[in-house]
Amino acid sequence: MFEYILAAFTPLNILLALGGVAAGTIIGSVPGLTATMAVAVLVPLTFGMPPESALILLGAIYTGAIYGGAYAAILLNTPGTPSAIGTTFDGYPMAKKGDGDLAVSVACLSSLVGGLVGAGALLLLAPPLAEAALAFGPVEYFWLAIFGLSLIAALSTRDFLKGLIGACFGILVAMIGISETSAEVRFTFGSQTLLGGIETVSALIGLYCVPVLIELAARRDRHLKEPEETRGFRLPEAIRTLLREKVNVLKSSAIGTLVGALPGAGGSIAGLVAYSEARRTSRGEPAYGQGNPGGIVATESANNATVGGGFIPTLVLGIPGTPPDAVILGALLVQGVRTGPTLFSDGSSIVYTFIFGLFLATLLMLPVGLLIGRFAYRTIVRAPKAGLVPVVAFMTVIGSFAIRNSLADVGIMVVLGVVGWVANRRGFSVSPIVLGLILGRIAEEGFVQSWTIGDAMGNVWGQFFGRPLSLVIIALTLLSFLYPFFPALRQRFLRRQGKTAPDEAAQDRIPDRSDTRAMIRDFTGIGAMATVAVVVIWQAASLNPEAAVFPRTIATGMLVLCGLAALETVLTRRVVEDRSSGSALRRVSVPVSLGIGVALVPVLGFAAAGIVMAIGLMLAAEHDRRSARSWAVLALGVAAVIFAFTLGFRDLLSVPLPRGMLF
Amino acid sequence: MRKSTMIAAVVGLMAGIAQAPSAQAQDFPPPKVDYIIPFGPGGESDITARFQQPFFEKIFGSQLVVSYKPGGGGAVGWSQLNSMADDGSVIMGTNLPHIIVKPKQGNVGFETEDIVNVYMFHYTPDAIVVRADSPYQTLDDLIADAKENPRKVTFSGSGKGTANHLVSVKFDQLAETETTYVAFKGTGAAVTALLGDQVSAEWGYTTVGVAQGEKVRLLAVAMEERHPAFPDVPTFRELGYDIVSGAYRGIAVPKGASEETRQAVSDAIAKINADKEFRQKMIDGGFALLDVPYGAEMDAFMADRAKSDLAAAESAGVLD
Repeated sequence: MFEYILAAFTPLNILLALGGVAAGTIIGSVPGLTATMAVAVLVPLTFGMPPESALILLGAIYTGAIYGGAYAAILLNTPGTPSAIGTTFDGYPMAKKGDGDLAVSVACLSSLVGGLVGAGALLLLAPPLAEAALAFGPVEYFWLAIFGLSLIAALSTRDFLKGLIGACFGILVAMIGISETSAEVRFTFGSQTLLGGIETVSALIGLYCVPVLIELAARRDRHLKEPEETRGFRLPEAIRTLLREKVNVLKSSAIGTLVGALPGAGGSIAGLVAYSEARRTSRGEPAYGQGNPGGIVATESANNATVGGGFIPTLVLGIPGTPPDAVILGALLVQGVRTGPTLFSDGSSIVYTFIFGLFLATLLMLPVGLLIGRFAYRTIVRAPKAGLVPVVAFMTVIGSFAIRNSLADVGIMVVLGVVGWVANRRGFSVSPIVLGLILGRIAEEGFVQSWTIGDAMGNVWGQFFGRPLSLVIIALTLLSFLYPFFPALRQRFLRRQGKTAPDEAAQDRIPDRSDTRAMIRDFTGIGAMATVAVVVIWQAASLNPEAAVFPRTIATGMLVLCGLAALETVLTRRVVEDRSSGSALRRVSVPVSLGIGVALVPVLGFAAAGIVMAIGLMLAAEHDRRSARSWAVLALGVAAVIFAFTLGFRDLLSVPLPRGMLF
Repeated sequence: MRKSTMIAAVVGLMAGIAQAPSAQAQDFPPPKVDYIIPFGPGGESDITARFQQPFFEKIFGSQLVVSYKPGGGGAVGWSQLNSMADDGSVIMGTNLPHIIVKPKQGNVGFETEDIVNVYMFHYTPDAIVVRADSPYQTLDDLIADAKENPRKVTFSGSGKGTANHLVSVKFDQLAETETTYVAFKGTGAAVTALLGDQVSAEWGYTTVGVAQGEKVRLLAVAMEERHPAFPDVPTFRELGYDIVSGAYRGIAVPKGASEETRQAVSDAIAKINADKEFRQKMIDGGFALLDVPYGAEMDAFMADRAKSDLAAAESAGVLD
C-alpha cells in the first residue's frame, strides 16, 4: 500500500493535482461549464502522460469542478454545475443575509469531507458496492426519481399545489425532442430547434439566473449585503457548523457515495436526495430553504462524495457512474487500460496510485477552494450592479452556448428565463420546475422500461410494487412528501385530544384575503399551466403508445392539479404570488438586451455582440449617477472581461464561438 | 453488403497504401481539422475518434480537434453539417443505422442523401450477450426457451430504431421467436441491466464482451467471420441465421466540399485505418475494422444498408 502512496505523491502528480483542482474549481464556477466539459476538454492533454498521472489530473479537475459549482449557487442563485442545485436553496438566502463568505467556507469543508468519504469508499469498498449498485433496476430508478421529486413538498411550502403543477410543467418540458426510449419526435411543433430537446444545463441557467438578473436590474438595493469589515474565511465558524452537523455530513457523504455508485443517477440526484434527508431530520433554525447551513452541508458533501462513488462502477464494472466518468473511461480505453474487477484484484498499481491521487486532490481543495472562494465572494459583493449584471449575463450566454456549441440553446435559455420569472411572479417557484426537468427523463425511462418488462411477464403491479428495494424507496418517498404536513397533522391530533397549541391555531384562522384583481391574476397563471397540459394531451394523441403514456399521464395529473388550485383560490381567497417592487422598464430591458445580443452573435461575432448586450444591461442596471470617467472605466472593465472570456473559450477550451464580422 | 464490404476492404486498403501524398493531399489536411462528434463525450463514437486522433497527428502532422454537438440522437449535428466550412477543415462522424432510419421517422432536419459520407472505418458488430451464470450456454438454449415462453425472454439494448433494436426484430423473424426488447439509454445502461439480472440477455456489441470479460458470455456475433478477440464465439451465419449487422461509423464532410477534398479526406482516414498499431488497438477494443472509401463503394454500401435497415425498421414499427 505504502508504495502506491509514494507513487501518487511524486512532484509531477502533486503539481497535476493542484493545477487540476484549481482549473476545475474555476471552470465549475462558471454556470454552463460542467464537470463533464471540464474533463472532456482536458482529455487530449493526458494522452502523453502515464495513465496514473492522467487519471489524477482528470480526477482532480472533476473534484474541483463539482465544488466550484457551489460559488455561483451561493452568490448568484445559479448552480454552476447541476450537482449544486441543492446548494442554491440555502446558500443564496445565506448570501442575501450577508453570510456568503461563511456559506462558501462551509461548502468547501463539506466538499472536503464528502470527497474523502467517497475516495475512502473507492479504496476499501469498491467491489462490494459495485455489486450492490447492480440491484438497482429500472423500477428502482423510477422510484428514486420520484423520491427526488418529493423534495417539492419542502420547496413549495408557500403553495404545495403550485409546486406540484410546476414540477409537472418541468417534466413536460423535458419530454420535448426525440425520445430516447421510443425514438419518437415529441412536442416540437415542427421546429428544428426543439428537435434536440431542451438541454438541461442551459435550461437550468435560464430558469435560475435570468430571474436573478432581472431583479438585480429592477431595484436600487445591493445584490448581497456587504459585511462591515473584512472577516477572512470565517473558518472557525464554518468548522463549528460542520461539527454541529456531523451526523448530517456523514450521512450525506454516505448517500452521495451510494447514489454516485449507481450508474444512471449522478451528482444532481445525490445532492437532492441528501438534501431531502437532511431536511427531514433537521430540527434547527432557520428552516431549510431559508438559509440553514445544513442544506449546504448536505448537498456539497453528497455531490463531492459522488466523485469517489462514481469511480466505483467505472473502474470495477467498466460502466460509468456519472457523465464525467464516461469521458474518463473513454480516456482510459484510449490509453489501453482495461477496467474491470481484475484491475483491483491484480493489485494493479494504476488504481491504487490513482485513488491516493484523488485523496491528495481532495485535500488540496481546501486551501485552493478557500482562496478562490474568497476571491469570488469579494468580487461579487463589491462589484457595482452596472458591472455585475452584464458580466454575469455574458457568462450565462457563453456558458449555455458551450454545452452543445449551439446558439439555439442560448435562445432557449433566455426564453425559459423569462418563463421562470413570470412563473415565479405568479407563485410557481422555479425549483420544482427544475426538479421536474432533471428527474422527468429518468422517471420516464424507468417507467417505460418497468412497464415493458412487467407487461411481458404479465405482472405490471408486481414489477412496480413487488420488489423489496422499491418498497424501501417508496416508504422514504411517502415520509418525505408528508413530512412538511406533520406539524399540521399533529395539531389536528392534539385538538382531537382536547389540547390546542394556542398561537399557531389562532394564526391559521385569519387568512389574508386577496382582492379580486389578485385572484384574476392567479387564475391567468393557473389557466396558462392548464393550457400547456391540454396541448400536451392533444399532441400525445398522435404518438405511439410508448412515447405517449408518460407525458399523457403527467399532463392529466397536471390538469387535475390546476383545477384543485383554482378551487383553492376560490375557497380561501388566498393568492400566493410575488409582487416585489421595481422598475418595469428596467426589468423588460434585461431579457430584451439578452435577446438582441443573441440575435447579433452570427452577424457581429460573439464578443462584439456581447458588448452590445452589455451596453443595454449596464444602462438597465445602473441606478446611480456616475461621472463620465467612471462610466468609461466600468465599460472598459466589462469589455475586457468579455474579451478575456471569448478568447479563453475559443482558444483554451476550443469552443467554436461564431466570429461574425468583427470578433 | 457482404461481398461489397470485402471488395471495399481490399480496395480501401490498397488505396490507403498506394495513395501516398498526392496533389490533393497538399490542401488536406489543413493545420487544424475540427472533428465533430454529433453525440456527447464518452460514447463509442467519441472513443474511436480519440483512437484516430494521435495517428492523424502522427501521420499528417496537423491537429485534429474533437468536439461534440449532441442532441436528438445525432440529428442536431447532422442537420447542421452542410452549413459548416467545406474546405476540409471540418469533418463529422456519421453513424448507421441512425442516418438511414432517423429521417424516415419524421422531420429531423436532414435527409440521408444530404450527408456526404467519405469513409466508413469500422463497426461494432451486434452480439447476444448473457451473464456468465446464465442458463443459456448456446444460442439454441435461448431460442428453445423463447419458443416455450413467448415474450418472457427479455433483452436490454441501446435505444429504439438503433442497431440493437433492428437486429432484435430481424432475429425474431429469422428464428421465429417472440422476445421482448427493452430500450435503455445507451449501451452502459443496457449492460447494467444485464449484469444486475434485470433482463435475460442483452443485444449488445462485441465491445461489451471485451469490456466485461469473464462476467459475460457472447452467444453469437453478427459478423461475416468470427471476431479475432472471440475465436470461440460462432457467427449468426454459422448457426443458420443470415445476420451481419451492427453500428457502423464513418466520416462525412459538408456537401459543398469539392471532389478533391472528399477524396483527400477519404484517403486520410484510409491511411489511419491501414496503420498496424491502430488496427491492433481497435481489435483489442472489440471493434471490427471496415474500409469503405468515397465513391462507388460507398454508394453501393449505403444502398445495401438502407435496404436492410429500412426493412427491419418497418417491421419494428418505428417509422412514421
